Amino acid sequence: MNKKIAVQVDDLTVAYNYKPVLWDIDLEIPEGVLMAIVGPNGAGKSTLIKSILGILKPIAGSVSVYGKPYKKQRHLVAYVPQKGSVDWDFPTTALDVVMMGTYGSLGWIKRPGQKEKKLALEALEKVGMLAFKNRQISQLSGGQQQRIFLARALVQNAAIYFMDEPFQGVDATTEIAIINILKELRKAGKTVIVVHHDLQTVPEYFDWVTFLNVKKIATGPVKDIFNDDNLTKTYGINYKVSIQE
Amino acid sequence: MNSAQLEIQIIASLVAIACAIPGTFLVLRKMAMISDAISHSILPGIVIGFFITQDLNSPFLILLAAITGIITVILVEHIQKTGLVKEDTAIGLVFPALFSIGVILIAKNANDIHLDVDAVLLGELAFAPFDRLIISGIDIGPKSMWIIGSILTITIGLLIAFFKELKVSTFDVGLSASLGFSPAIMHYSLMTISSITTVGAFDAVGAILVVALMIAPAATAYLLTTDLKKMLGLAIFFGVFSAISGYWIAHWLDASIAGSITTMLGLIFLMVYLFAPNKGIIAVFYREKQQRTEVSLLTFLLHLKNHNEESERHVNHLNEHINWQKVRSRSVLDLALKNNMITIKNNIVSLTKKGDDFTTQAIDYIITNENAQIEDMKEDFFLFRG
Ligand SMILES: Nc1ncnc2c1ncn2[C@@H]1O[C@H](COP(=O)(O)OP(=O)(O)OP(=O)(O)O)[C@@H](O)[C@H]1O
Ligand SMILES: [Mg+2]
Repeated sequence: MNKKIAVQVDDLTVAYNYKPVLWDIDLEIPEGVLMAIVGPNGAGKSTLIKSILGILKPIAGSVSVYGKPYKKQRHLVAYVPQKGSVDWDFPTTALDVVMMGTYGSLGWIKRPGQKEKKLALEALEKVGMLAFKNRQISQLSGGQQQRIFLARALVQNAAIYFMDEPFQGVDATTEIAIINILKELRKAGKTVIVVHHDLQTVPEYFDWVTFLNVKKIATGPVKDIFNDDNLTKTYGINYKVSIQE
Repeated sequence: MNSAQLEIQIIASLVAIACAIPGTFLVLRKMAMISDAISHSILPGIVIGFFITQDLNSPFLILLAAITGIITVILVEHIQKTGLVKEDTAIGLVFPALFSIGVILIAKNANDIHLDVDAVLLGELAFAPFDRLIISGIDIGPKSMWIIGSILTITIGLLIAFFKELKVSTFDVGLSASLGFSPAIMHYSLMTISSITTVGAFDAVGAILVVALMIAPAATAYLLTTDLKKMLGLAIFFGVFSAISGYWIAHWLDASIAGSITTMLGLIFLMVYLFAPNKGIIAVFYREKQQRTEVSLLTFLLHLKNHNEESERHVNHLNEHINWQKVRSRSVLDLALKNNMITIKNNIVSLTKKGDDFTTQAIDYIITNENAQIEDMKEDFFLFRG
């Protein structure tokens, strides 16, 4: 399998207050995978994504997206932040939030119009949230909010999707709805990278996995590397998951 | 109304609009305190600028003072980044220091300059019309009207051009950065505009009114709408309304104009805080009461659905069984009757078809807690709103 590399991370080191939270990460993410990033709380998963997206400045190392720096490739990338990173009381509706996904392709100054609105409505429909389009976002449940953010990523029509814990606090139905959309994205040739905490579902949902805990422990196809050995190395305790099903 | 009166009202209204726009974003960014800090800490900038230019309205002075404002913001952020103190503490450390430098500078040179702390803090709108802008012998109006008018024009231009960037960087810093709209650029642009507006309005209305005009109208508007554009519009409206009504109150009571405007701002906020339809405390109180009744109603309907025996459905038995006070039972029964959910025959209560369907649907909703069709139901039933 000689696939193109969607995201390449070289020698990445990131620190908030001088103490590195990511040490010398090397990572290659092949095009078209649905990849889970797993690791304990505070392992640096969100930090890794934020550094790849240029939201944080690394102290060393580099990131490239399809061979070029992220700055040049923004239009290829969409991002769903970890919940709680936005201001839920902001005066804005679900539709408006989804429309924000189109801002990137509009660039500076230009304003969204009918075309952008139509895209946003389609995305809302896709995640089953059309009925809620005029709701203020704090009046949505956690799972509904998560769907809105997924819709916002969908309208970006990117090649690579980063999602920070999209399943956090959502019910089983929503989780299945979301994973189906992610699988559809992969089918359409997109690369999807998801921070994921539920180890039980990794083999069922994903085909690629990265173990992270300050350092990169392992990365590769789920069927080859998702084993007790790597889990133990990542989580520090003797981990046993049954992945026989 | 003479022309000086008209000019005062125009100046006050222009200041109100110029403050409401950055103020809205400051409130949304939970940065109300920073406007207070800016308004005080620009004092040394003003004083030094005044030494150099000898003119309180010189553009150079405004620039210098605005730079002091930015320095304040940067200092606050720097102190905060050390992680030793919180943002409000950092603000509390920075602005008294800068402000007192300004006060000392004034005190030291009080003899040669007509600049005193009171005038700076409180301003005096009543005098604004006397300082005229005269170009080649022609009087074209009060200076402060032109200054604040120019600042307002720039602010509106920037707002229209960068509305979506301001919105997304205020709402979601991460998305904004990943889309390429640098949150830092937006942040410092907003701080610059806030500083320039503060300085420009300062001479005419004083520091306290500037802060009040930035924060109070926006905070009031915030209680009333879930749409950013409407919030901006309402903030401008409340600002201008307070400015003009405050002016006339001062006129009739022969009181300070700035004081009356600030009082109006406070009163309007209070009224909205009490009476706003959704977020006002009276509405919240009423809604909670309503919801309690509706939960009771649902409990009651469920009881009816679960029991076919007449003895369980007798009005008196219901009182005892569900263990409510008479008043509550009464209001629940009334509500159910009004909505055609039940019928009462010989004091025996039965569910109607509508009541039965409703109960089934409601249970469904409560159990699955997810259902788009329920949206229609919400219109006529409070319980499922929000
Ligand atoms: N803004 C910040 N300032 C200082 N330290 C931070 C900041 N954000 C995160 N950290 C620290 O960096 C480390 C990695 O955080 P990160 O958010 O990347 O973890 P994570 O793997 O996403 O965890 P979780 O599973 O809880 O989301 C943690 O030790 C955290 O305390
Ligand atoms: Mg995280």
